[in-house]
Amino acid sequence: MNLIDQVEQLFIQDKIDIFLGYKALDGHLLPHGFTRDRMEELKALQVSEGRYSLEKIATHLTEKHPDIRIGMIARECNLRTLNLLYTWKQLNPENIETINISCCPSPLKPHSDCSYLEPKQTGAYKKTHGIDFNADPDTFLDDFNNKNRFSRWMYEFNKCIKCYGCRNICPVCFCDECSLEHASLVEPGTLPVDVPIFHLIRATHMAGRCIDCGLCEDACPMDIPLRLLYRQVNAIVSDIFDYRPGNGTDQSPFTIIGEKTVLEPKPMDAQLEGEKEYGL
Amino acid sequence: MTIKRIRFMQELLTFFGLEGRLHLEWISSAEAQKYVQVVTDFTEKIRQMGPNPLKKIDAAVKGAI
Ligand code: SF4
Ligand code: SF4
Ligand code: SF4
Repeated sequence: MNLIDQVEQLFIQDKIDIFLGYKALDGHLLPHGFTRDRMEELKALQVSEGRYSLEKIATHLTEKHPDIRIGMIARECNLRTLNLLYTWKQLNPENIETINISCCPSPLKPHSDCSYLEPKQTGAYKKTHGIDFNADPDTFLDDFNNKNRFSRWMYEFNKCIKCYGCRNICPVCFCDECSLEHASLVEPGTLPVDVPIFHLIRATHMAGRCIDCGLCEDACPMDIPLRLLYRQVNAIVSDIFDYRPGNGTDQSPFTIIGEKTVLEPKPMDAQLEGEKEYGL
Repeated sequence: MTIKRIRFMQELLTFFGLEGRLHLEWISSAEAQKYVQVVTDFTEKIRQMGPNPLKKIDAAVKGAI
């Protein structure tokens, strides 16, 4: 059954209220919510090579309508994210239906459906002063000494224009209050960005959380090798805590933020609590 | 948990290029000698490594503004 028929079936069987996929607009494939009221739109549903955080859209919808049943296109990376969001109670697995897509090329399908599978190019200047996108954390540690690593990361971080794109696209950045906008850590509204604290805060928060989708690195306009950094923090977490985000059903045992934290994930039953409070 | 968290921080700082600048030691209130020894050793180690390179960068940024 093709994708469009599958989605149609989900609506006919009343399994979902909305389906998140992609639709072409002025030549770009953009995320779109398909609904039962406008079934004719389904003709335009496509799998896009470019990726957006469909799960992030799902968490935003769920925040407003806790009972909404959502269907979505899911690749490997989306499935890992969904798993993680379930463990942090940002989404309820009972309200999510996925249609799984394999992105990789195969004998039956010569192309890949994912922009990320294109190898990244690192320019000569970046190679000598900064960090190769395709570097592996272990070889990076072996190839450069302490001083050299420091200057390379600082070269990369100093390019940051503090656009918050990395956080905004990230499907597992779901905090109510973000440390990156906390005046005592990162001065708001000023440039240059506070380095390296801005990036080390995010690196620390991604420990035990980042599912390595690579969207942040794709989004970063300054070509900072964010994925490499988060891969390393998660290698450390895996070493010390034996935990790999996105795999199981447990929350990460590692929280650098301690017991009193403003990083509380948003409660899913916010609406219910509100109703209780106001005696509705 | 503290040991594990500090180990995480140490390894992150190592990756970033600030290796060896964070130290954790368990010292009971009865171990004054050990306390002195640990602090002296660590101070000496840091002195040999020189000032934190971030300090220089901070000053350069402030100077530029
Ligand atoms: S790779 Fe980037 S965008 Fe994806 S989960 Fe990790 S930090 Fe978030
Ligand atoms: S506080 Fe950390 S984990 Fe939360 S949204 Fe901000 S960067 Fe992401
Ligand atoms: S996306 Fe890149 S430039 Fe923008 S805030 Fe994140 S690291 Fe900085």
